[in-house]
Amino acid sequence: MNLLVIGANLVVSLKCFYREKTAMFFTTMFPILLILVFGTIFMDDDNIHYNLCLQDLDQTGASAELAKGLASTGKFKVLPVDPAIDATKYVKDNKVNLVVVIPKDYEKSYTQYLLNDDLNASVTFRYVYDPSSSSVLEKMQLLNLVFATMNQEMSAKLPFIQTAQESIHTRKYRFLKFFIPGIIAMAIMTESLFGTVQVNTELRQKGIIRKLSTTPITRTDWILSSILHQIILAVISTTLMLLVSYTVFDVRLNINAWLPLFIVLDVFMFVGIGMILTRLVKEAQSASSAANAIMFPMMFLSGSFFPLEMMPDFLQKFAKVLPLYYLNEGLRASMVFQDNETALSYASTIGILAAIAFILGITVTRWEEGK
Amino acid sequence: MTTETEYAIEVEQLTKRYSDDLLAVNGISFKVRKGEVFALLGPNGAGKTTTVEIIETIRRPTSGKVHLLGMDVTKEKRNIVPCIGVLPQGFSSFDRITVRETMLYYSRLFGGRNDDIDRLIALVNLEDKANEQYATLSGGLKQRLGIAIALVNDPKVVFLDEPTTGLDPRARREVWDVLLGLKKEGKTVFLTTHYMEEAELLADTVAIILSGRIIAMGSPAHLIESNADYLVLTLQSVDEKAFAVVGGLGFEPEQNNGRSLQVRVTHMDDIRKILNAMDIANASFLSMDVRKPNLEQVFLKLTGEALSEGDDGEKEAK
Repeated sequence: MNLLVIGANLVVSLKCFYREKTAMFFTTMFPILLILVFGTIFMDDDNIHYNLCLQDLDQTGASAELAKGLASTGKFKVLPVDPAIDATKYVKDNKVNLVVVIPKDYEKSYTQYLLNDDLNASVTFRYVYDPSSSSVLEKMQLLNLVFATMNQEMSAKLPFIQTAQESIHTRKYRFLKFFIPGIIAMAIMTESLFGTVQVNTELRQKGIIRKLSTTPITRTDWILSSILHQIILAVISTTLMLLVSYTVFDVRLNINAWLPLFIVLDVFMFVGIGMILTRLVKEAQSASSAANAIMFPMMFLSGSFFPLEMMPDFLQKFAKVLPLYYLNEGLRASMVFQDNETALSYASTIGILAAIAFILGITVTRWEEGK
Repeated sequence: MTTETEYAIEVEQLTKRYSDDLLAVNGISFKVRKGEVFALLGPNGAGKTTTVEIIETIRRPTSGKVHLLGMDVTKEKRNIVPCIGVLPQGFSSFDRITVRETMLYYSRLFGGRNDDIDRLIALVNLEDKANEQYATLSGGLKQRLGIAIALVNDPKVVFLDEPTTGLDPRARREVWDVLLGLKKEGKTVFLTTHYMEEAELLADTVAIILSGRIIAMGSPAHLIESNADYLVLTLQSVDEKAFAVVGGLGFEPEQNNGRSLQVRVTHMDDIRKILNAMDIANASFLSMDVRKPNLEQVFLKLTGEALSEGDDGEKEAK
């Protein structure tokens, strides 16, 4: 190992990266754009509300009170629909996903039920909806909950089964707090994997590796300088992501010794996989496709963007063989929950996986033309 | 362990087989003296690049012995590398790094000093381009940079694999000037080329390789002398009847470049005989030229094929 050689190689790699403005922009800005986009979407995640089209065929004081009651839950913005219009036609023509229809004799039934204690009295609200809309079921479930609460209150009895929520964490967490560690792990994966695969295949194709093999630089020097290069980029990009999430969305994450450890493990893991891919794929173009084929499933199936619980059972099991899953969860354990024990467990797993990938990568990387 | 020897390179029964069907180098042997320019000349796919890459320690031989400055190339790569400078075929470098930075980079790989860099940049006439990025250089300038890089460690032996392939005639001449400078400095230069005039101009010794075998070796003059015992008479702007006159004397005239006549003769007397016959027949011509054949004609005679520009090294490497 020659430090002067490693230093020289590192300087050239960093200059190449810095001077390739487009590559530099996309490498550093892509994760920041993701944070800005998702941050804006989930900025107000505790106050999700829906537009609710309400057609009041009864037009009485009681139906007006009901509309007010729905609006006061804070979950719905009530939009009145002209009683003269056909609700089905309205849904189709106005591209809305749901119209709730209050029937004509609502007040009469309401009076019968409450004042005359007629327990057989009831009303049926029609949900006229478009099933192709992805959010309509969620909206109807929420409405059902609101109506169930109203029914409960009108019955003047306490619910028999009640629930009490107890979070295992002492504080309340925003979605962005979960999201940003996932984006950090994903961004480092992308940089390390693509950086290794693209640079190495391009240099090999251009014959630069062949030229370098006639100089004193060794395979170890080359790999170590690549690792250092990727670690520097990972630190820069992580710092930028943390700064943006703090300054724009006021997301405060715990920065502790686990963060650099997970950054280094992330780099080793994916530089290792990158080296294996470089050995297997000859052309720079196919190498990018191969890197994409590994990266995209990893991005979407390992819980970087959304919780694993949303996925079918077999995919949840599959996620646990993906190295990015352990990085995501390890970073969350340390940065969000400050749970050292869990962080250690994830760090140990990813440490073993990274060691295997890196040793395999070194073993298969060829410096001389062997044949 | 370096052994003192008068030879910079010693190759004995070198064979390289890539597969059952592909024998790239077939038991070749040669020696390169210290301080000489040695050219390995051959057509596409003849085995030039494979041979040079084995000597440079990039590839391993299937069998045979190769020593560089007395060191076994298969066992002493670490000791050999600091002693050699290599311009690989199709040389390329980091696009976004300037000429000076590139030189500095390679110099640092060899643990070199900065003051050598300016001297080398001047040697290849790249002072004006020192701060230009590699990607912006023309083909000729890139090759000159490649040669400067090959010299960055002040090597004892310089390998130049097809240094002028793909360059226009002017850029080729510029590279030749640099190589002539190396020759004057007394460097041992191992050159592979398929340009006859390059080998003839620069090399002290030429080895002609064909299908992995060396079929002739010696100085360009010796190769020409021993393989071409004839002269070439060229008559410029001749009459139509000149061909009949020369043919009538039992020679085989060829039309060359429109109205010029070219004919092989064995003795000076033959030339006199032709000129007399032309005079008697009143066949005119503008000028005449008598030459010994060049290396290209020797090559044609030996191999039965002409050389052309191509990517033999790449083919071999694959």
